[in-house]
Amino acid sequence: MKARVLDSADVLRVVDLLRSLGYQVMAPFVEEGGDGAFALVTDENRDDIALHIHNPLYPPKRFALPAIEPLLEIRGHGAETRFRPLVEAPRVAVFGIRSCDVAGIDHLDRFFLGGAYRDIYYATRREALLLVNVVCTQPGVDIGEACFCPCTDTGPAAREGFDLQLMDLGDEWLALAGTPRGEALFDEAIFRRATPEHVERRRALLDQLRTKFRTYTSWFAAAVSRITRGEVPEGTWEEIGRRCLECGGCTYVCPACTCFTVSDRPDGPDRTERVRIWDSCALSGFTRMAGGHNPRKAVHDRRNRRFYRKLSQPFIDRERSVACVGCGRCADVCHGDVGMPAVVELLRRGPAPQGDPTSVAASPQRSDLEAGGRP
Amino acid sequence: MSTAVVTSAARTAVHENVYLPKRAVIDRVSEEIAGVKTFRWHLEDPAEQAAFRRFRPGQFAQVSVFGAGEFPLSLPASPSEPDFLFTVRAVGTCSAALHQLGAGDVFAVRGPYGNGFPMDQYRGKELVFVAGGIGLIPLRSCIVYALAHREEYGRIVVIHGARTPNDLMYLPLLEELQRSGQLEVHLTVDRAPAGWTGNVGVVGSLLSKPEVRLPIQNTVAFVCGPPVMFRFAIRDLLALGLQGKDIVSTLERYMKCGVGKCGHCCIGMAYVCTDGPVFTYEQIVQLGESI
Repeated sequence: MKARVLDSADVLRVVDLLRSLGYQVMAPFVEEGGDGAFALVTDENRDDIALHIHNPLYPPKRFALPAIEPLLEIRGHGAETRFRPLVEAPRVAVFGIRSCDVAGIDHLDRFFLGGAYRDIYYATRREALLLVNVVCTQPGVDIGEACFCPCTDTGPAAREGFDLQLMDLGDEWLALAGTPRGEALFDEAIFRRATPEHVERRRALLDQLRTKFRTYTSWFAAAVSRITRGEVPEGTWEEIGRRCLECGGCTYVCPACTCFTVSDRPDGPDRTERVRIWDSCALSGFTRMAGGHNPRKAVHDRRNRRFYRKLSQPFIDRERSVACVGCGRCADVCHGDVGMPAVVELLRRGPAPQGDPTSVAASPQRSDLEAGGRP
Repeated sequence: MSTAVVTSAARTAVHENVYLPKRAVIDRVSEEIAGVKTFRWHLEDPAEQAAFRRFRPGQFAQVSVFGAGEFPLSLPASPSEPDFLFTVRAVGTCSAALHQLGAGDVFAVRGPYGNGFPMDQYRGKELVFVAGGIGLIPLRSCIVYALAHREEYGRIVVIHGARTPNDLMYLPLLEELQRSGQLEVHLTVDRAPAGWTGNVGVVGSLLSKPEVRLPIQNTVAFVCGPPVMFRFAIRDLLALGLQGKDIVSTLERYMKCGVGKCGHCCIGMAYVCTDGPVFTYEQIVQLGESI
């Protein structure tokens, strides 16, 4: 992997370069109200790009798998009905994608491009997508309260899956090329040769950053083992089901969730679009069939399904990783505190005995950690 | 700023789009029982028609009714028959929309999908079909297939139950086949009007009747029907001495893609669309949550 160095003042010139190459560049901005979001870079907002920002809740996964994506255009009625596939994708570069989200797209690649059937819509969009990863280096800004990528081995610096990786070393930035497309960008004059000393600084900084995560460990091994062997402590799924509000938020913010539904949407008197739309296994309609029969009606069965899909060994073997990238978004959005770290903890410890409010705090609390105790 | 667009059509043959259905035409519609219609259909493109004919009994197709959407339907015809069929009860948006179509109308089909019944593995065995109501739809394909390869199988026994005589499926076909002496058909209904001379009672009530002489040794039992009927029929078959590995069924699930991507039909590790829909009872027990 080739490394280069660039001045801090030149980092946004990478964006300019990508735009000049014909890419629509999506980058993170702090929006009114303080939330972050990926948005299209224009001449007007270019200087407002946030290099250090808490990872936006709405994941950049949508540039590879849009929340709503047209599949077919249907025209006419009756015997005159005609339809054609809508397989096209703009060239998009995501600038500032975090390492967890790079791992998320890498997971989607294995899912949609692997198996017996290749997904041409995903493949086309993905081929036109360039990823410029920015490593999270500022605790409290980049690295949020819920982040736990060291536990999923996906961060803070991605090892693969990006075209270009940028990392703030303080006074200058280190750039790594992950693909020939990324390496081609090094022809630009802003990039200088990196020295072994730069690479050493990167390593030292990452060693230090790994200690800055609040959830410094999540016992995936215990959770994976129990789910795989069917040895989840009795009552655990029911406890998780009781806390789940069935909002589906965890799936809509998840960079590794893949499920979708398909719907025909009328678009004028003569045109219908068949679209696929992100779907959520948290919702009761996910498995409900015509006629009303629902084989997975109970909330806790649906929660069991989500975590079996994400954490069981057979799926890990098939997808080559847990279907979690440690971004912490599900923990951020969950009103019932049954995001991934909390569930992993519940699977390890089992549900709280009835009437003992002290026995389980699902998420490890900072006070627990500072007291030196393992949660 | 110019925005380049990558279009895959140039690089990728259209047939590689697994979500792209093929145009199909309805030839004839007949009412099977009240609320259930059988559609005779063909694919518009003769090459596609020929390719589709390679389907196996027990496989299914994704059917598009434009404007309503796409839904999975089992293929009740045998590949040995000249015409393709769908038999469907109007229960949801898509099935109701399909029921509105008539001869000459255009819809679309993709597939065939799923594993299907391993009819080759069943050579030399006695075949028992146990179907409740419209559960006979996916089994019709196997029955006709087995008769087209009659010398390869032992006794063929069809046990079909429904609420009333008017709810019995494919009755003209079953009666014709029974008259031909190629298979044994036993019918039962939950409620019988005056004049019904056949059996009254649930499907299980027929299984142990001496006159049925249900084969147990070297037998495969195909069981399809509503969940309650399924559970009791399985219980009765196991009690008679059949093994879980010798009882097969097709599972029904909500599904959108048919190719293992949309996630709806997945139970445990198994995708009903690609690993199923045919499973042995032994596998169904391992999957959990199935019925």
